Amino acid sequence: MNTIVSEEPQALSTYPSAQTPRHRPSSWAVAWDVLRRRPTGLLGLAILLFFIGMAAFGPLFYPAELPSNPSNIFAGPSPAHPLGTDFQGTDTLALVITGSRYVLLSAFLAGLFTAVFGTVTGLISGYYLGVPDSIITKLADFVLTIPSFPLLVVLSTVWKFGSPLAMGLVLGLIGWGALARAVRSQVLTLRERTFIEAARGLGFSSVHIIVKEIFPNITSYVAMKFLLAVTGAIYASVALFFLGVLPLSTNNWGVMLQFAFSQAGAMYTTQSLPYLLAPLACILLVTFGVVLFLDAVDEMLNPRLRRG
Amino acid sequence: MRGFLLRLARRLVGALVMIWAVATFTFFLIRMIPGDPVAAQLNMLEQQGMSESQAAARVAGMYGFYPKDPLPIQYLHYMQQMAHLDLGQSISYTGVPVMHIILSALPYTLGLVVTGIILTFIVGVIGGVFAAIYRNTWVGSSITVVGSILHGIPQFMVALLLAYLLATAHPIFPFGAPYDAAISPGITWTFLSNLGLHAVLPIAAFIISGFGFWALAMKASVVTTLGDDFILAAELRGIKPSIRFRYIARNAFLPLFTYLAIAIGYTFGGAIFIEQIFDYPGLGLLQLNSIGVHDYPLMQAAFLMITVAVIVSNIVAEMLYTVIDPRIRTAR
Amino acid sequence: MATQAATRVEQNACSIRGLTVVYRVERHEYAAVQDVDLDIPSGEITAVIGESGSGKTTLAMAMLNAVQPPGRIAAGSVVYPTAGDILRLSGKRLRRLRGDSISMVFQTSQNSLNPLKRIGGQAMDLARSHGRDPRGTLREARDLCAKMSLDADRVLTSYQHELSGGMRQRVGIMLALVLQPEVVLLDEPTTALDVLSQSEVLQILRDLQRERRFSAVLITHDMGVVAELADRVAVMYAGRIVERGRTRDVLIRPDHPYTRALIRSIPRLSGDLSEAVPLPGLPPSLTTIPDHGCVFRARCAYRMPICDTVQPPLESVGPDHDSACYLEGFPSD
Repeated sequence: MNTIVSEEPQALSTYPSAQTPRHRPSSWAVAWDVLRRRPTGLLGLAILLFFIGMAAFGPLFYPAELPSNPSNIFAGPSPAHPLGTDFQGTDTLALVITGSRYVLLSAFLAGLFTAVFGTVTGLISGYYLGVPDSIITKLADFVLTIPSFPLLVVLSTVWKFGSPLAMGLVLGLIGWGALARAVRSQVLTLRERTFIEAARGLGFSSVHIIVKEIFPNITSYVAMKFLLAVTGAIYASVALFFLGVLPLSTNNWGVMLQFAFSQAGAMYTTQSLPYLLAPLACILLVTFGVVLFLDAVDEMLNPRLRRG
Repeated sequence: MRGFLLRLARRLVGALVMIWAVATFTFFLIRMIPGDPVAAQLNMLEQQGMSESQAAARVAGMYGFYPKDPLPIQYLHYMQQMAHLDLGQSISYTGVPVMHIILSALPYTLGLVVTGIILTFIVGVIGGVFAAIYRNTWVGSSITVVGSILHGIPQFMVALLLAYLLATAHPIFPFGAPYDAAISPGITWTFLSNLGLHAVLPIAAFIISGFGFWALAMKASVVTTLGDDFILAAELRGIKPSIRFRYIARNAFLPLFTYLAIAIGYTFGGAIFIEQIFDYPGLGLLQLNSIGVHDYPLMQAAFLMITVAVIVSNIVAEMLYTVIDPRIRTAR
Repeated sequence: MATQAATRVEQNACSIRGLTVVYRVERHEYAAVQDVDLDIPSGEITAVIGESGSGKTTLAMAMLNAVQPPGRIAAGSVVYPTAGDILRLSGKRLRRLRGDSISMVFQTSQNSLNPLKRIGGQAMDLARSHGRDPRGTLREARDLCAKMSLDADRVLTSYQHELSGGMRQRVGIMLALVLQPEVVLLDEPTTALDVLSQSEVLQILRDLQRERRFSAVLITHDMGVVAELADRVAVMYAGRIVERGRTRDVLIRPDHPYTRALIRSIPRLSGDLSEAVPLPGLPPSLTTIPDHGCVFRARCAYRMPICDTVQPPLESVGPDHDSACYLEGFPSD
């Protein structure tokens, strides 16, 4: 008993325990149920699907080289150009659509790499302890301490981030620290639980215990961190292009912002406003979608939140 | 006290190791830059008519090592130079010691970031306390909603929008320099107020983008503390509301210190955008510009200095925490 | 003087009448304390004994007008001679009463102390909150520490994490007594302690009460503690008082079947362990307390038809001894 008020009406303390077993019948049913009761989560999912569709199929509708028109620069919105044109007279909507693929794909890959690196190191560190643990912990501290954007700027002198894979890999390499720490502490508490001790006592191999017993218990946590890492990576990749240290040869939202900021002089004129705002709005909308969806995912994975 | 010093010493050693690692990293990074800038520099100087040994000496002045030496010797010389706090000479500002340039930029970054962190912390914590106390009214829920939205918007976008709205579209605040060129620096009211006015937008960008994090964290912490038994016990002992508020505030406030390290890194890292967008001559802008002109000694030093600033700030925050939390102060 | 002292003893430090406390569970209100009448005689220790869920702690919280949501005091009065009905007080007047003339010792004192403040500082906060002289309070705190064989200098400058469990509980007693209250509520003061500390704390409480003659309400589930410490005892079951009287009378001549079962369930050091008979069945939970008839009948071996319809009232079964049971004259067992 840990409360100073020693008794509480018993009927009030019927919350399901925090350690409800994870294996529940049909998680699809649960997911659908939560999404139906939470239209905001459905909205978030819809936004995400919309942008995924844009990134996957949007570029197919445009030529590799978007047409420009020097006599029609910074045009306002019109039927031909719903979002106006840029400093070269290129259609802003076309730029937004074709520019989504690099940003979203690299962010997805960055989230994936972050989740993989963070989970693997965290599992090893928390399960084996000892030397691997202290090495990984020190490395994670190191990665967490170095401010990431100055580091990325320095890295940009040797690494050109040309493909989404290159961008995602680097962002994953510098972003795994926090997740590794969190996974490690989760593993440390799981280690003490009886089913892990039982598995060890039965002589299962360490790999089996980590993969089959511990990992399933943290997948939901990792999944949420993955989504958060994706939003973080969207900012990071856009921000790097915005800083102007990466080659601006390809088209993406970050390049658009950089041009709007420097070339077009958006900061000194108002005519390029749609050009500046279009990529910003997209980034915010994607974030908004992830946040809404994450909220619903949180409820799906966390049984304690499920009942109001 | 002894425990405190011991902990401080341990942290300082760790900090030195980390700084060494970063310096080593930049040393090797510069060798990997396509086109070998060190050799190119040597070539250029020789073409300008210097003798080979003269040119090599100039390059050594810039980078801290002789380009024709074997790699281990180069590294050794470079580290020796670092140990003497000599960061080499700038290439773009011909012959100027990098340390000078760095030290003239450092105050701007430190000023922005430290003021930014402290103000953000204060504003966010106060917002969080209100959000927790009035959590069942519209006041509390609007703080929470605003906080979550602001937390979701990346810092550079906040800065971009601020610059656009309050400096371009509606030129209320100056932007583009740390102070008006017409005013001569000194401890005068005119200068200081002008300096402050120029810092309003950059610092506002820090506060707006960081508010959500602290407000949400503080709110959660206060709500947790409100449910703590000793708060109920204090109520049942008839403790004055003002004293009870202090009990809650202090106990809710302490856990936030553990987030301070993250915030420090985040803010120093974010300063690079703030400085770029507001054209503020701090370390971040210096680092960006040095890449544009291939001034690698300067780039390396700016990066190193930012890292050192983060590490030192982390140690200060951690030591502050051990001083104000008695549980850590006396443990171990 | 002599007559005055005599009337003081007769006086009650607190009179509870018709107290009903309800908890709201899924849009229904259930009574955790139902129509309780209880007098706390001045200068004596009155025990309230019951199983967990019997409503005894809710009763104590109601005596401070501090029932926490979703609970609510639905009816009744808790009258203190000087302050009046505490249930009618609120705001500053209520606050000035709590901790000052009515104080509480909590079950787990480590959770009742501010972890970031030295014990002495917390005693000072108490003095400041009640407009007492800080120096006098400090002297009193040292005095109490000395009586409880605590090193006052060390304890008062310590944080709670630097003290052992038994020390913390004594600190809790010190904080409850330092302002010299008239009524002290002891909520399971020894339950969270190890056996050795338990007997120490009981000894301390007995000595302090004999010396200072404060009135005390001892909330407990342990008949042994009652026998050692209490002058009177009230037995609670499912939110009602089913028997009350002088401790000796109740222990020797228990009337209510529940009281008898409680006493029988105590294992005695001297006796045979097999003689300790645990009470069969479980007490009802808040939502399953029957709303008419005797609350104990489900576990009662002497259930009669009338028990199903009307809750038996508390009636005198001896001098200063009441019981709520229809059964007259127990079959010997």
